[in-house]
Amino acid sequence: MSERPSQGLSFRGALPRGRRLMIAVLASVAVLALWEVATRFGWMNALFFPPPSTTFATLVDMIEEKNLLYHAMVSTGRVWLAFGLSVVMAIPLGMAMSSFPAVGAALEPIVDFIRYLPVPALVPLSIIWFGVGEETKIFLLWLGTFFQLLLLVADDMRRVPQEYIEIAYTVGARPTQMLSDVAFRAMLPSLFDNLRVTLGWCWTYLIIAEIVAADSGLGFVIWAARRYMNTSEVMAGVVAIGLIGLFTDQALRVLHKFMFRYL
Amino acid sequence: MPAPYLVFKSVSKNFGALEVVSPSFDLEVKRREFVVFLGPSGSGKTTLMRMVGGLETPTKGQITIDGQPVEGPDRSRGMVFQSYSSFPWLTVAQNVAFGMKYRLDISPKKKKERLAHYLALVGLTDFANVYPNKVSGGMRQRIAIARTLAAGSEILLMDEPFGALDAQRREDLQLQLRLIQQQDAKTVIFVTHDVDEAVFLADRIIVFSKRPARMLEEIDVTALLGTERTLALRDSEAFFHLRTKILRLVRASAGADE
Ligand SMILES: Nc1ncnc2c1ncn2[C@@H]1O[C@H](COP(=O)(O)OP(=O)(O)O)[C@@H](O)[C@H]1O
Ligand SMILES: [Mg+2]
Repeated sequence: MSERPSQGLSFRGALPRGRRLMIAVLASVAVLALWEVATRFGWMNALFFPPPSTTFATLVDMIEEKNLLYHAMVSTGRVWLAFGLSVVMAIPLGMAMSSFPAVGAALEPIVDFIRYLPVPALVPLSIIWFGVGEETKIFLLWLGTFFQLLLLVADDMRRVPQEYIEIAYTVGARPTQMLSDVAFRAMLPSLFDNLRVTLGWCWTYLIIAEIVAADSGLGFVIWAARRYMNTSEVMAGVVAIGLIGLFTDQALRVLHKFMFRYL
Repeated sequence: MPAPYLVFKSVSKNFGALEVVSPSFDLEVKRREFVVFLGPSGSGKTTLMRMVGGLETPTKGQITIDGQPVEGPDRSRGMVFQSYSSFPWLTVAQNVAFGMKYRLDISPKKKKERLAHYLALVGLTDFANVYPNKVSGGMRQRIAIARTLAAGSEILLMDEPFGALDAQRREDLQLQLRLIQQQDAKTVIFVTHDVDEAVFLADRIIVFSKRPARMLEEIDVTALLGTERTLALRDSEAFFHLRTKILRLVRASAGADE
C-alpha cells in the first residue's frame, strides 16, 4: 500500500513533506483569491468584507503608522504571562489530581463547574475584584485556560504507564524523584501538545480581556476600529492575531519534533 | 540444607471481594534459585510476584527475605515488565544507568565502570547511545535486565518479559538470561504461561490453578535436567517428556472451558 505513490487522498496515506507544504500554501492562496475575487466582482460588499489586498495594505499601514507591532507585543506579553501562570499552576495541581484520588475527587466538580462558565460572564466580577487594570486582563486570560489545562494535565498524568512509576520505585526513587524524573518526563510529549493547543485558546479570549478599559493590545485596536466602522482595520487586527497564532503553532510543532526525537 | 531465602508464609490476597490468592500460599525459595510461576492467565501469578516486589501487600500472611518481612519496593528486588520496560526518553546507556541513579553509595567513577560492565554483559555496548525506539523488542528487554542488575538487585522479578517477542529472539534471550542468572548468582521469579520457556529456564516450576491461585504441582526441573541449559537440551528426550507432562498438567488446570 505505502509503496504506491499517494496523492494524499488515500485514507491515512503518506504525504511527503514538500507536497504537504505545497498543498497547504495552495489552499491558503485559493481561499485568499476567492475572497479577493468575490469582493472585486461585488458578490460581497467590500465595506463589510474588505478584500485581502486592502486588509494587507491596512496591516502594513497600521504597522507603520499606528504602532501595530507594539500592540501585538503587548497582547503577546499578556497572553504569555497569563498562560505561564496557568501552566505553572496547572502542572503540579493536575499531577496531584491524578496521583491522589482524594485531590481528584475534591477538585473535579469545582473544575468542571468553572470550566463551563463563559469567560465573558465573569467580566463584571473580575472588574469588581481586580479593577480595570492589567490584573483583570491577566485574570480573564488565565481563567480561560487554567481550568481546561488542569484537566488535560491530570489526563496526561493518568496515562503515564504504571510500569514506569514502579521501575522508579524499585530502583530506589523517592516519590518526589519519581514525579520529576519519571512521571513528568513520561507525560512531557503529550503535555507539550496540550500546551500548544491551550495557548491557542488563550488567544481567543484576548478580545474579551482587552475591551475592558484597555488602551493597548490587539483587542483594543480591533475594538477601537469597530467604533468607527473601520472594517479593514478590524480585519487587519484579526489577521494579525491569526498570523501570530500560525507562526507560534508552527514554531511549537518544530520544537516538539526537535525535543522529542526519541518518539 | 541451606536456610530458605525467600519465603511466602500463608499468603493470601484479595482485591475487595475478588479472591486472587486463596486460601493460602506457601513457598520457600532458595538463594540463587530460578523459580518459574506457570499457570493460566488471570490466576494470580503477577499478583504474587508483585507482593515480593513490595508493590502489593498480602491480605494475610507475609513474605520474608532472609527472615525480614518485605515492606514496599526496594532496589534489591528489581522488576522486568513485559511492556514499558524501559524509558523511551533515555538512551540505552542512560536507561541502564537509571538503576544506579539513586545510589549514593557508589562513586560516579564506579558507576561508569558498572554501566560498561552490564552493557557488555547483555550485549548492548554498541547501542549505548541510541534511544530504545531504535532497537528491537529483545534488546529493550535486555536493557531492563541490565538496569535491574546495575541497581544491585539480588532478586529479579520477571513478569512474562519475553511474551511479546518472536520465537527466535525468545530462545536467544532465555539462553542469555539463564547464563546471567548462573554467573551473577541471582534469585529469579519468572512468570510465564509458555511451558517450553518454563522448562528451559527453571530450577523449579510452580504450576498454578485457575483463580484463586493455589499451587497445583511443584516440579524440580534441575533434579531431572541438571543446571546447565543449552540449545541441545531443548531437543533432548528428557526435555520433551517433561514438557509433555507439564503441558498435560496445565491443560487440566485450565479446565474444560479452555
Ligand atoms: N490492583 C488490582 N485491583 C483489582 N483486581 C486486580 C488487581 N490486580 C489484579 N487484579 C485481578 O486479579 C486477578 C489475577 O491477576 P494477575 O495476578 O495479574 O493474574 P496472572 O498474572 O496470573 O494473569 C485478575 O482477575 C485481575 O483482574
Ligand atoms: Mg500476569
